[in-house]
Amino acid sequence: MSNTKVEHFSVVGVSTCVPPRVFDNMERAKDFGELEVRKVVSMAGVQCRHVVEPGVTATDLSYEAAARLLDQLGWARDSISGLIMVTQSPDYLLPSSCCMAHKWLGLSTDCAAFDVGLGCSSYPYGLYLAATMLSTGGQKRILLLNGETPSLFTSPDDHATTLLFGDAGSATAIELNDQAAPAFFSLHTDGSGFDGLIVRGGGYRDRTPVDPRDNFLRMEGAAVFNFTIKRVPALIRETLEFSGLSVQDIDTYLFHQSNQFMMKHLIKKAELPIDRVPFVLDRFGNCGGPSVPLALTQGGRQTQANGRLMALGYGVGLSWGSAVFNLAPGAAVMHSEYSKLVKS
Amino acid sequence: MKTMTESEALALLAETFSEPVASLRPDTERATIPGWDSMGALMLMAELDERFSLELTAETSKNMQRIADVLDYLRTHGALKS
Repeated sequence: MSNTKVEHFSVVGVSTCVPPRVFDNMERAKDFGELEVRKVVSMAGVQCRHVVEPGVTATDLSYEAAARLLDQLGWARDSISGLIMVTQSPDYLLPSSCCMAHKWLGLSTDCAAFDVGLGCSSYPYGLYLAATMLSTGGQKRILLLNGETPSLFTSPDDHATTLLFGDAGSATAIELNDQAAPAFFSLHTDGSGFDGLIVRGGGYRDRTPVDPRDNFLRMEGAAVFNFTIKRVPALIRETLEFSGLSVQDIDTYLFHQSNQFMMKHLIKKAELPIDRVPFVLDRFGNCGGPSVPLALTQGGRQTQANGRLMALGYGVGLSWGSAVFNLAPGAAVMHSEYSKLVKS
Repeated sequence: MKTMTESEALALLAETFSEPVASLRPDTERATIPGWDSMGALMLMAELDERFSLELTAETSKNMQRIADVLDYLRTHGALKS
């Protein structure tokens, strides 16, 4: 078991940013057939997706989310001692995306910054890293960036993935606070399923694949579904037990927005009240890990009033995890569309 | 575990794959059932999980080529009345 309780961890702001370009999935009826597209839309629950223009990256989206959040919070840039970027859509193989974000945000050189390569499970993992960095001392304010551009690694010819995924960036502001309620984390991995969701080409195992399809995401839908229904309800039970909470003690369950059919099955199996689970798939699609903060900013739940949240991430890896935490009273909860803000 | 009769199982499969129940028999081939595509396979997994807490693996699901294979699976796992 990998369960951790962390004290004095306060989330004071969450900001998301999506590209302004919107694709209506029904526009692809001409390519895949109207019946097939309607079937996918009905099952996955994705009507529209926000998709980046060429040249715009996950770091760009996350930067804008962060810049707006810092302005809203009035945080001095040199007060941030840690910057974590969690993404599987990096700008470059090297350097890490956090380095560009660090420059654009004008952060101090007295700031630890690093990337973490996780996908659908990235938000609870990122929160865990931020929380443990704060709890070990030496850090006071951490900015967690979580962005993905899956539209850039899904094949336009693969209706199972291209109709599902959208792009998003996010920023979460976290600081030490002696008064904050404890946070709880449960994190897991099953590497035996590493090829259930995979982009085989482009890395150092196969820089220029012979089969062009290897430049795009391959998804074993049945295997991933099987993993999810086996692991996620158990994760919810485990997290509640570890934190000493009941289903009713959680105000909002922030699910990774994987697929509507899958989410509804998980909710039923875990016996959660469906009105406490925001769905934003219809407008944004599955944006990978950032779909969790997007469910917070765009899910329509009144979570600002010190509500207790459970963030749930699961997917590529196979990796899954949860985080139970409270938003600080008066926390900033923001959403914007990408507008090419000036960078430092 | 809950159990069902073969005719109840056929009705469940008909509903899952959006097929008229009259068109499903044990020897009906998967290839002739439009609704038993990749999405239909996920729906079958969900149904078996929900009704019987059975974990139909991706590999087993892939190897099912006829309705009889699903019935055999249910029988083997104690979900089908003999």
